[in-house]
Amino acid sequence: MVKTSILFIVISLNSIWAQDAYERNCVTCHQTLPTSLQEMFKRYLLVYSGEKNVKASIKHYLTYPNKSISAMSDLFVDTYGIKKPTHLNKVELNEAIDIYWDKFKVFNKLK
Amino acid sequence: MLAEQRATLSKYAYIQTKRLKVLHHYFDERTEYPRDPRFKSAIYDIEFMQIFSLLENEPEFFDKEIYLTQNQKHIHFVKSLDEYYLGTKYLIIEVEDDGIWRSEIWKNIIGYGLVAFFFFILVGLYLAKLFLKPMRDSIMLLDRFIKDTTHELNTPLSAILANIEMMDTDVMMEKNKKKLNRINIAAKTVSILYKDLTYMTLEKEKKSEEEDIALKSVLKNRVEYFDILAKSKQITFDLDLEHATIFMERRKFVRIIDNLISNAIKYNKRGGKIIITLRENMLSITDTGIGIAEGKIPFMFDRYMRFNQSEGGFGVGLSIVKQIVDECGLKIEVHSKEEEGTTMVIKW
Repeated sequence: MVKTSILFIVISLNSIWAQDAYERNCVTCHQTLPTSLQEMFKRYLLVYSGEKNVKASIKHYLTYPNKSISAMSDLFVDTYGIKKPTHLNKVELNEAIDIYWDKFKVFNKLK
Repeated sequence: MLAEQRATLSKYAYIQTKRLKVLHHYFDERTEYPRDPRFKSAIYDIEFMQIFSLLENEPEFFDKEIYLTQNQKHIHFVKSLDEYYLGTKYLIIEVEDDGIWRSEIWKNIIGYGLVAFFFFILVGLYLAKLFLKPMRDSIMLLDRFIKDTTHELNTPLSAILANIEMMDTDVMMEKNKKKLNRINIAAKTVSILYKDLTYMTLEKEKKSEEEDIALKSVLKNRVEYFDILAKSKQITFDLDLEHATIFMERRKFVRIIDNLISNAIKYNKRGGKIIITLRENMLSITDTGIGIAEGKIPFMFDRYMRFNQSEGGFGVGLSIVKQIVDECGLKIEVHSKEEEGTTMVIKW
């Protein structure tokens, strides 16, 4: 029994550590929202266009969330509210945003 | 210059923008970039990174709305989007350059150029007419004056010359002979001027009476006529005349000879020479006078042009000579050196 419990804890911890910063810190929360992270990414693209602009604006919003700078519609913000400021450190935040960009960027996806 | 293409390309860009909007909406269920047989296109983000491209030529400018590619084969139209579908800030539309706009431009340049050219010619003519009016008026006034006075000169001048001829100089005192001589010179000078003016104003329209003229005798006759004028300046004639004929009006030929000899006397030095050489098809009259500067030679046949105000005259003599020379298909050459003399050569 003890062996089984230890094995379960080890596997669980391993699976958490195996996840990247994006999946650990973003996906879990966004799963509850009706708008996918892909759709939100497209919103950012629509407003900010380039990689640097998009990343900078996401970082700014996550650090200082505010309705006026949100890329989402007023209806969405009013319904689901504004998130709390991120608790992630700079490195982890940058890593999560980089992964987010790489995952949904349009480059090399069109044919 | 690509304005004609601008409207078409702008329409293509609008169509492509709408397609991008749809693709943005359905991305990434749909990933096929919209294509159109009429044009090729590419999309770039705000950092000039290529998102997707079907272009044959890389875009050269993002800040120009329309331009011709460096190889001159394609036209690029750059549309800057307000909403960045799929992150697109710059949409480039590419079409092949069919060169029609170039021929259109040439047509327009030539067309409008010709219109402008004729317009400026008309304006120029109008202005020239306006500015030359005072000059033309004064020339007309002078012409009218000469025409009017010429009529009145004939009778008294003929009377003076006839009476001088009739006078018996043998019984005359030496003192009076000299005075008569001076009167004769003055009367002949006026007579030449009178004949020039008459030719210019009245006889020009006379009916042509061309004939074969034996030039040797005419020249001798004219030299004899001018002898008294030449002697007054101690000028001697040096004649080298061979037999030659010309087919033209006698009065016209006489006008040429009279004017050339008269000028050769007028502008000769005291004690100078006049050399007249006659050959078949050529007559030359050389003086040893003050000569004429090379730069002034082209203007010496102009009417009322006088380079030396110390001598009398209206400045019509050489103008008449040139007029007759041109009318009769002759050629006139002027060789002159200042302070050495002038040679006038007539060829036919």
